[in-house]
Amino acid sequence: MGLDQFFTTFKVKPTRPSPAMTITLAASLILFTIPIFIRGSYMLHIIILILLYSCTAQSWNILSGYIGVSSFGHQAFFGLGAYTSALFAMRLGISPWIGLLIGGLVSAGFGLVVGYPVLRLRGGAYTAIVTLAFAEIIRISFMNLVEITRGELGLWGIPVFPSIVVPGLGKISFEAGARTPYYYIVLIIFLLTFFMSYKLVNSRIGLAFRAIRESEDAAENLGVNLTKYKLLAFGISAFLAGVCGSFYAHYILILMPTTVLASGVVIDMIAMTFVGGQGTLFGPILGSFILISALEYLRFLMYYRWLIYGGLFVIVMLFAPAGIIPKIVEIAQRGMIKDLMRASSREVED
Amino acid sequence: MVVINSQLILEAILNGIISGSFYALVASGVSLIWGTMHMVNFAHGEFYMIGGYILFYSLTLWRLNPVLGIILAAVIVFFLGIGIQRFLIHPMIGKPGWEHAPMILTLGVSIFAQQAAMLVWGERYKSIPYFAEGTIPIGGISVAIQRFLILAVCSSVIVVLWIVLKRTKIGMAIRATSQNRDAAALMGINPFTMFTLAFGLSVSLASIAGCMLAPLFLINPWMGHGPLLKSFVVCILGGLGSVEGAILASFLLGIFESMGVILISSEWKDILAFIIMLIILYIRPQGLLGIKERT
Repeated sequence: MGLDQFFTTFKVKPTRPSPAMTITLAASLILFTIPIFIRGSYMLHIIILILLYSCTAQSWNILSGYIGVSSFGHQAFFGLGAYTSALFAMRLGISPWIGLLIGGLVSAGFGLVVGYPVLRLRGGAYTAIVTLAFAEIIRISFMNLVEITRGELGLWGIPVFPSIVVPGLGKISFEAGARTPYYYIVLIIFLLTFFMSYKLVNSRIGLAFRAIRESEDAAENLGVNLTKYKLLAFGISAFLAGVCGSFYAHYILILMPTTVLASGVVIDMIAMTFVGGQGTLFGPILGSFILISALEYLRFLMYYRWLIYGGLFVIVMLFAPAGIIPKIVEIAQRGMIKDLMRASSREVED
Repeated sequence: MVVINSQLILEAILNGIISGSFYALVASGVSLIWGTMHMVNFAHGEFYMIGGYILFYSLTLWRLNPVLGIILAAVIVFFLGIGIQRFLIHPMIGKPGWEHAPMILTLGVSIFAQQAAMLVWGERYKSIPYFAEGTIPIGGISVAIQRFLILAVCSSVIVVLWIVLKRTKIGMAIRATSQNRDAAALMGINPFTMFTLAFGLSVSLASIAGCMLAPLFLINPWMGHGPLLKSFVVCILGGLGSVEGAILASFLLGIFESMGVILISSEWKDILAFIIMLIILYIRPQGLLGIKERT
């Protein structure tokens, strides 16, 4: 595909890119070179986790931040993707590369089946309760299907990604413990997620999403099919969570119902979205960066982690519904405007 | 393969009624809150847990009578609930995002309370003795007195709640507020006071349930999770906001579950309730006694 063709198919105007676009492109280029600068595999592991969790948080953000549907059982989709891809690779010998897609599709399929009966109803309470219950169904099933999932003992012996040959770079193998190749996989997932989310929220569909978030009645009066768009958002979100789970399975190489299917997964997603800013594309990325690095480098916080998250949810809901960072920015800007006004009034006095 | 005989079925029905009365007690609180304030309280299970702990300490530390312990738990949790409603939930009323904000806020309260309970009271499970020893024989099977006490206390608390809601002035004011907030306000009822009262009432019901179940299941920081989910299921089955529906659905679910245990193994029992809920949402989304609402 030629470059011109690329520009026409994706409707990207090559001339005069916006500053945000330039910064994003520059940032993605920097991200591609990170493994050259960072030699420590531990550090790279943290960065992989930051990218992975920013994608899972983004999946929650698309639902809650853009269409206003809160899911409290999103760990089910993450875990479904993880277990599906791992089991397909172990029992059926299907390549984890295809597993990434299958994991996402299975999650999306379950998302649609569970979402349909509740998303046609008004009121977020139904969705909240049903997603919570669905997560419980999945958790209990995966704990009890010991013959297939090994239950609480955890599923291990998950195959790694098979090696691929990249023209120009030669053969790339993904043995367990290698960080750099995994970094590039998660980076590609991350960039695709970001690009697709950007395209989605700036399309007509994204406009419908935001219309529904602002007022369901108004959106419906304008001819927006509520159920259709909510289901679409739910499916996309579940797909994304499933792909992330599937990558997690082939990267961490051990799956336990108490880690991948626990409510902690969704609480992480919510906390990251709230810290970085709800309903913005950069929010989950920022939130994931702040929370994961804080928990890694300030280990004592780990002990109070859930206490802090609990308090965080309350504070966000009461004082900063848009998120912590947007609130800080807002306060800072207000301060700056005050300073400017004071300065200008002084000038007038002079 | 189990042999199904009349005795087994009788036992299952009795067990079902007992757990149904317990579900009804927790769920009527959830339903009351939904009916009056149109919010879901994710921290409901934590009040149940706190009730259990208060009973534990009043029995072991202060050597109180169980009856006094339960009353103490109900009163403390009532005021705790009022405090949380006033300081955390009240400021959000009338602001945009009411549909989601209280859920996330109460989820935060729930996580915080669980973790605080773990840090303060420890991870170790605590047990308290049965309130009364012994069994009562009924039609060839014997049932522990403790289980009868659960049935008796839970049902009588529900009856009291019923009388309070239907006959007293405060109950009528709460129902008026839930039917039409503005009209109630015009009649001189302060809806915000009613919200606070209903919230306190709702969580103190949960704490009584926690106290009654504490001798059967051990007390731990996470004990509220199961009853919370079950009460949500029951509320949806009965129709969100309908206390009558919730009570009816509780008994039906209790009996259905204990019948189900005869046929399937007990690890799968909990899934049964959730699957029934999903099926009901497909075929009758408004629940058993709910009215199709469009708000």
